[in-house]
Amino acid sequence: MEIEHIHLIAGLGFALAFVFGAVLNKTNFCTMGAISDWVNMGLKGRFGAWLLAMGIAVAGAQVLELTGVIDLTESIYRGTAFGLGGFIIGGLMFGVGMTLGGGCGQRTLVRVGSGNLKSLVVFLVLGLTAYMTLRGIIGVLRLELIEPMTIDLSEKGLEEQGLASVVLHWFNVEVSTGLRWLFAIVASIILIGSALRIDELRNDFNNLLGGIVVGLAVVAAWIITAVIGYDDFDPVPVEGLSFVAPIGNSISYLMTYTGATITFAIAVTLGVIAGSFVYSIVTRTFRIETFSQRGDMINHLVGGALMGVGGVLALGCTVGQGVTGLSTLAVGSIVATLSIMLGSAITMRVAYHRMDERGVFNSLMAGTADILIPWRKLS
Amino acid sequence: MSDVAKELDTSGLNCPMPILRAKKALKELQTGDILRVTATDPGSVKDFEAFAKQTGNELLESTTEGETFIYRIQKA
Repeated sequence: MEIEHIHLIAGLGFALAFVFGAVLNKTNFCTMGAISDWVNMGLKGRFGAWLLAMGIAVAGAQVLELTGVIDLTESIYRGTAFGLGGFIIGGLMFGVGMTLGGGCGQRTLVRVGSGNLKSLVVFLVLGLTAYMTLRGIIGVLRLELIEPMTIDLSEKGLEEQGLASVVLHWFNVEVSTGLRWLFAIVASIILIGSALRIDELRNDFNNLLGGIVVGLAVVAAWIITAVIGYDDFDPVPVEGLSFVAPIGNSISYLMTYTGATITFAIAVTLGVIAGSFVYSIVTRTFRIETFSQRGDMINHLVGGALMGVGGVLALGCTVGQGVTGLSTLAVGSIVATLSIMLGSAITMRVAYHRMDERGVFNSLMAGTADILIPWRKLS
Repeated sequence: MSDVAKELDTSGLNCPMPILRAKKALKELQTGDILRVTATDPGSVKDFEAFAKQTGNELLESTTEGETFIYRIQKA
């Protein structure tokens, strides 16, 4: 029975991811592109799609939690270990990596499906370095350098790191279900409201569709793993959608297939590639793309490694933390997501200054100042 | 083409590089000058439309030749 149960969960994950991959291929939903459009062109449409996805995911996940259907404190995001170092350092690394590597974990899978061999290289490097950071040699560094920066919230009298719990604890107010509803409603309204204020989102069908599908897919993932996946003897881990550790685990699964068991996250990873592949074949947009420049290959290799290591340190990517994690309203997810955005935005500006043949250090200073000083006019 | 002030080849590069390079190249041109960009990233088609709309530089031409996308942008 156990085997059938996990196969059901994996099958549902694959089907969900298949639709997700096809839609994301069509709509060009891209969190790195969202930051590029905004920083490089002043266009906020794709960023709006991401905000919309966040808002829908928060609304859906919070309703499920507050009505007692699922318990999000069982997920990796809401525990009492607050990995401050990992969220910030890992988040920044991931942000830099996705900009150099042509997109985040999810985008990499979509592009692998549509024939981009550059993204296949990123996929392999990201997966291997993620696995090395989870269980291998980079994991030693993680334990030595990053883990000591983790704050144990239980020592401060907190039972979890949900936004409501942390803020109310700060003000010495007792947490009640009513107040948690209030936090959930306000957060959803702020996210969906600020998304819908953006013209380039409202007037663009693809941006709207991408945002809605990503948000709903994360909610569906919670339902599949926490409700359908619930089993008295062998429950599957409660998780949403995430694309860093699962890429590493997918590679490991394929290499150790006869002794390995499929998981929801592995099925999702393979499903996104399959969905994007079928969409690109049907629409005749499948095309093989390869490296043609030396510097471009170096950027993608470095980008993949930064995403693999950074994504594990930060506990997720722009979807794993930036939509799934945020949907639990974990404070750590907010810190990690902002760090990823910051790392990516700065990298865009550094790349721009580098074209002036300025030195690396000068470009880094100028690029960082461009993003951090709000009144600085961008050239 | 004789009316092109500068040629920019972004073949093999993907988002955000073609836009970043075009932005930089346009900065060094005079008003009315034409920049011709070649790219192989399919995503660049939408990117250059949006870029032109947003920056006011006119996208005079956006065509495909085999595997290559060609854009002609006039600096505003």
